[in-house]
Amino acid sequence: MAGASAGITAGIVNMLGILPLWLYSAVLVLSFPVFIIGLFLWWMAKEGTEDIPFIGY
Amino acid sequence: MTNLAGVPYYILEFGDELVYFTPYTITLFLLALTFTIFVLISMPERQVDIAFGGDAYTTKVISVSEMRFRRFMAIACGLASMGAMVTGDIFNFTLFTAMVGITNVGIVAAVKSPHVQNAAYQYGLVALSATVPLFGGAAIYAAATGSLSMIELAKGALPAVPFVAKAFLVLGVIGEGMAPFYAAKAEMFRAPGAPYVIMCSLSSLLIFLRVIEVVMLG
Amino acid sequence: MIAQLILATLTGLLLLGIHRKVIARIQRRPGPPVWQEILHMLKFSFKSTWIPATASTVLFRGVVLVAIGIWTAAFFVMLTGGSLLVIFGIYMLHKIVEHGFGLSSGSPYGKFGGVRSVISAASEIPLFVSVAAIAIFTRSFDISDIVAYQQVHGPLMFIAFPAAVAMYIVILSKMPFGPFSIVESKELVSGYKTEHFGIWRAGLEVCNGLKTTVLLATFLMVFVGQLPILWLGAGMLLLVVSLSFACALTPMLSPFDSVTVQTLVTGLMLCYGAVLFIGVRA
Repeated sequence: MAGASAGITAGIVNMLGILPLWLYSAVLVLSFPVFIIGLFLWWMAKEGTEDIPFIGY
Repeated sequence: MTNLAGVPYYILEFGDELVYFTPYTITLFLLALTFTIFVLISMPERQVDIAFGGDAYTTKVISVSEMRFRRFMAIACGLASMGAMVTGDIFNFTLFTAMVGITNVGIVAAVKSPHVQNAAYQYGLVALSATVPLFGGAAIYAAATGSLSMIELAKGALPAVPFVAKAFLVLGVIGEGMAPFYAAKAEMFRAPGAPYVIMCSLSSLLIFLRVIEVVMLG
Repeated sequence: MIAQLILATLTGLLLLGIHRKVIARIQRRPGPPVWQEILHMLKFSFKSTWIPATASTVLFRGVVLVAIGIWTAAFFVMLTGGSLLVIFGIYMLHKIVEHGFGLSSGSPYGKFGGVRSVISAASEIPLFVSVAAIAIFTRSFDISDIVAYQQVHGPLMFIAFPAAVAMYIVILSKMPFGPFSIVESKELVSGYKTEHFGIWRAGLEVCNGLKTTVLLATFLMVFVGQLPILWLGAGMLLLVVSLSFACALTPMLSPFDSVTVQTLVTGLMLCYGAVLFIGVRA
C-alpha cells in the first residue's frame, strides 16, 4: 500500500503545482508496479506450499 | 541535431573526463543499477532437468565458492555497464565496453558444463577481436577531432567525425555481443544462475543502446 | 496521470482481447469475449500463488516489478512527447524481462523461452534503423518534434514507408499468436511465462496491456501524427485488426526461420537506411 499512498500523494502535490512533472512521473513509475503487485498480493487467495516447476504431463 | 537523447540534466565535470545524465542515459543507468541490485541480493535458482520417460527430475545446485566468484563477476559487469551508460568520454566508453566483454566471460567461466565453456571460449575470441576496431574507432575520434569528450562533440564546433570511426565503434560493440555474434552468447545462457547470466545479455543490450547515442554525436 | 495509466492498461488488454476474438473469427471459432484479457488479469490476481521451490525468488518477483515499471516509464515518455530513443530502448530491454521471467524459475520450459528471446534479438535492429530513418527526415528524436514535423509535411507513413513497414513487423513480433512469437510457443508449454502463475501472471498481463497501448499509440503518433483521442482509438483498433489478420493467417515459424526472416528485414532496412543517408549527404 506504500505504492498507492506514494502515487496518490504525488498526484495531490502535483495538482497543487509544487512537484515538477518529471519527479511526479518518476514517483509513479516506481510506485505503480509496487501498487499493482501489492494490491494483488493483498486480495489473492491464501498461499499454498512451494512446489517444483512444471516438468511435463 | 545537437543533443539527441534530450537535454542533459546534470553534468559532473572532472577535468576532461566528465559524466553526464540525459533522460536516455539515466533510464539505461537505472536499469543497470536495478539489475545489479538484483544480483547483489538474490540467490541463484536451481535449474530443473527432466529425466525423460519417467517422473524423475534433477536439480543443479551451484556451490558456494562458484556462486561467490560469479556474483563478483556479475557485479563487476553491472558496474562496467553503469559506467558505460553515464560516461561522457569516448575512450572511457570503449574501456567499459571491453571490461563488459571480459566480465561476461568471467560470469560463465566457472560453470562446469562443456557446452557453456565452449560457448564462453568462442565468445571470448569474438570479444577479443572486437576490441581492435573498438579502440581503433576511439583513436580515430581523437585523431580527427582532437577531443574525446561527448559534450564537446555534441556542440558541433569540432571537425566532423569520419564515418569509419563511427563504423568501427559500432562494430566493436556488436562484437561484444549483438546480433550476428549472438550465437555463442545464446549458448552461454544454458548456464544455471539466472541473476548472473541475465547480466550478460543486459550489459550488451545496454552498451548497444548507448553506442547508438554516441555515434549520433559529432 | 494515474487515471491515464489505468485507462491505458485496460485499453491495451481490451485490444489484446479484440486481437484474440478476430483471430478466432478468422479461423471460424467462436473465440472468447473481447473483454476476456481483462477478466484474465483479474482472475489470475485472485488466485492462490506461490513461488517454485527452485526459483531465484528475488529475481522471480523483481522482474515482474521491472516489467510494469519500464512500460509505465515508456507510457509517460510517450505522453509527454519525450525521446523516441527512450521508448525503443525500453522496447529492447523488454527482452531482458522475458529472459528474466524464463530463467528465474529453473523450469526447463521457461529457460528455453528465455533463450529463444535472446536469439531473436535480431528483430530489434530494424527498429533502430527505422528510428534512424525517421530522424534523417525530422532531425530530432523527440516525439513532439516528430509530430510537429508531420503537421507541416504530412504523415511520415507516406514519406518513409519502408520504416513504417519495418516498425509494423517489429510490433507484429511482439503480438501473441503471431509468426514470430516463438518465446511463448506451445511446445514450450507457455514459454518464458510458464512458471509465473497467479498474481505474477496478472502483473505480466498488466505489463502486456500497457505495452500494447504504448507500441500502437507510438506507431500512430510517429507515422500518422497527432490524432484526437477518438481517432487514435480507431487507428489502434484498425492496427490491431490488421495485426490479427497477419497472426491468424500465418503459422508460427520455427525459431531459426523466425530469426532468418527478421535478419532479412534487418538487412533490407539497413540498405534503405544507407540509401537515405547517402541521399541526405548528396
